[in-house]
Amino acid sequence: MGFLGSLNQERIVFAIAVAIFVVAALTLPGFFTADNLVAIVRSVSVLGILALGMAIIVIGRGIDLSMVAVMAMSVAWYLQMLGNGMSDGAALGLALAGVVAIGFANGFLVAYAEVPAIFVTLASASFVYGLVRSQLIGSDAVPVPPGHWVAELGALRLADVPVEVFVFAGLALAAFVFLRFTKWGRYVYYAGDNPAAARNVGMPVRPMLVLRYVLSSLVAFAAGILTAGSLQSMNTRVVNSPQLYDIVLVTVIGGIGLAGGKGGVRNVLIGAALIGIMLNAMTILDIPLLYQNLIKSAILLAAIIFDGVLNPRDEQTAQQGDI
Amino acid sequence: MDDAILRLEKITKAYRGVPAVREVDFELRKGEIHALLGENGAGKSTLTKMMAGVVAPSSGRMWLHGRETVFATPNAALEAGIAMVFQETSLVPSMTVAQNLYLGSEKFLNRLRGTYISAQQFLQSLNFPVDPAAMVETLGAAKKQMVEIARAVHHNAEVIIFDEPTATLTPEEKRHFFALIRRLKARGVSIVFISHALEEALDLSDRITILRDGELVATGPTAGFTRETIVAAMVGRTLSDALYRDRSAAGTRKAGQKVLSVQDLSMGAMVRNTSFSIFAGQVTGVFGLVGSGRTETFKVVSGIYKRDFLRGGAVALDGRPVRYTVPREAVRDGIVYITEDRKAEGFFETMSIAENIYSGLLAAGHDHAWYVGRAEMAAVAAEWTQTLNIRAINENARVVELSGGNQQKVVIGKGLVQKPRLVIFDEPTRGVDVGAIAEIHALINRLANEGLAVVVISSYLPEVMNLSDRILVCRQGRIVEEFSPGEATEARIMYAAVH
Repeated sequence: MGFLGSLNQERIVFAIAVAIFVVAALTLPGFFTADNLVAIVRSVSVLGILALGMAIIVIGRGIDLSMVAVMAMSVAWYLQMLGNGMSDGAALGLALAGVVAIGFANGFLVAYAEVPAIFVTLASASFVYGLVRSQLIGSDAVPVPPGHWVAELGALRLADVPVEVFVFAGLALAAFVFLRFTKWGRYVYYAGDNPAAARNVGMPVRPMLVLRYVLSSLVAFAAGILTAGSLQSMNTRVVNSPQLYDIVLVTVIGGIGLAGGKGGVRNVLIGAALIGIMLNAMTILDIPLLYQNLIKSAILLAAIIFDGVLNPRDEQTAQQGDI
Repeated sequence: MDDAILRLEKITKAYRGVPAVREVDFELRKGEIHALLGENGAGKSTLTKMMAGVVAPSSGRMWLHGRETVFATPNAALEAGIAMVFQETSLVPSMTVAQNLYLGSEKFLNRLRGTYISAQQFLQSLNFPVDPAAMVETLGAAKKQMVEIARAVHHNAEVIIFDEPTATLTPEEKRHFFALIRRLKARGVSIVFISHALEEALDLSDRITILRDGELVATGPTAGFTRETIVAAMVGRTLSDALYRDRSAAGTRKAGQKVLSVQDLSMGAMVRNTSFSIFAGQVTGVFGLVGSGRTETFKVVSGIYKRDFLRGGAVALDGRPVRYTVPREAVRDGIVYITEDRKAEGFFETMSIAENIYSGLLAAGHDHAWYVGRAEMAAVAAEWTQTLNIRAINENARVVELSGGNQQKVVIGKGLVQKPRLVIFDEPTRGVDVGAIAEIHALINRLANEGLAVVVISSYLPEVMNLSDRILVCRQGRIVEEFSPGEATEARIMYAAVH
């Protein structure tokens, strides 16, 4: 039991990531170079940022499937307003207000109307996409106005490292401090472990739930700004891409149980490391994208099954607030 | 002996070494109505579940029609002719009565019309006025029960077991139910029914068996029992005499200031117009059978449930009217409710003892800083582990791995760190080992001596009598009687609690 007991998903995934890294460094030409290592970190930065938002939701026994839609559509709308000549302050204010409103609506429906999170956020994703695409923006892709701060942000590098890496690091630190050291962060764990007990002991379970969905929407907006900065535009077709499921992959694979109450920022970092290393190695090996998706999905499924075996859910408590 | 359809000999069922039913002999004769009586936790449900194959006996033997049998599953029992009708019905609410009747025995191709016609004929043959095309969810409790019974009869059950069949019925429905039971009897069906209502048992049954603490105390023809002898048999304790100490009037604590006053409180069907007061510096025991609304009453007081918006009555804390919408407000006012179901709504199972106890402090509201102090958590945990004598293999053990007694202490600690003025213990010693029971009782006494208002809800009479300075009896959603320890006897309390 001693060995098996210490064998949790986090450690296994970490070991696999290290193993792939070592094998790739020894066998793949051009893998173990400074440029490529920076590229790996950069490639998972935006994903990692989104996964931080998702992690806070999942730890509280929820899920947010609207993150990619909020990310793409809020930033596209923001850029469209800029393109239409609105002042930066007004445009940013409106976009942020929209983002907070969606997060609030998600949270309110989950917490107070008690609709399962998976349906609420699935519906709000479609709603946000449809509303913004049909009413607020003119085309699928909206360019960043030349010379705007978003464009400059995308080109910004500190010591040859792109800015999104620093943003990822900063947000990871902030999320870590929030989850680990603030009482509201701990409320997330308590509510994720047993919502009824958290309510009975006097924690503000429902307001905290709303706050989490607002947070994840804001995180999505930040990720969207970084994406638009590096690509110089925001392509809203990303809503229909598998990116959402990459976020879930990064979140879950590092050991954040879908049952809630478990995991933290470290798990997101490990998940992001594995996915970054793997995708990079597969790209160098020239594995077609279709097969990459196949491999990713197999890994996600394996991680979830493994999580289910290692952390069996309890019948009684699992019934409440199931996603 | 010849007419015994079902016979159990020295049947025992133990859960994790704790016997729920101990060496009970039971005999059911053909065409009789047999009432099974006893307090909550006396082992009635477990005994009947063994007959119906829901629970496997730990030891003992069972004969059906003189042949020794063991049922592995409820289905096996059903095929052998034993059907059980549970308190919560096992019907599928979104299907029609006819579909439910034939559930599990459908033909490969079903014609709805054919099903309705045969269901109609079948229900008529039983004289049950139920529409076979009605959705089960639209039916009342009594009609649902009829469908359940019809299903049992349809499976050619010779033995039908009812677990508290009348608990959810109105008086009118009860009359129908009794008539129906008699018709079944006339058809030669043998019936076992569990009940808390002694009049029903005396009225309806041919024979009565009484269990107490998992053991058989009396069995015989109904004519040989009176209400008084039944109550005496139900409560007369042998095992627990050591635990049981009658509180003399001199030993009681004086009532302090009135902390809580409840006037005409109502919530749905469970709490009806109940009124009572709770005082500081003493233990108020609340006795009631399962379903009497005692838990619901105090969940309303502690903000977990909301009382009816209209005509919900009034709750006052220190004379100040309060209406809590969430437990958080009650906790901030110093009301702590310690749940009877610690697994579902008491502790955080994947977390350590320290994190569980600290949760009470973190949640308590404005007086706690925004940050988490690891040192503070360790100190609080150390203090309460010692005060409550919580024993674990190691400090980082998850609460779910602890014994029932230690889990209960963790849940108590989590509530007491909030420095409450009113503590409500709901079944504080359910699923707790004997040693921990004594410790928890000592703690409850100490809290009252320190001046807190303490409420102990229990369906275990010695607990209520041993701890309480006042005893309230809850029946059908209201507090119906109050006793002082001097005037309370187990028989009188039980008499007030049963209807």
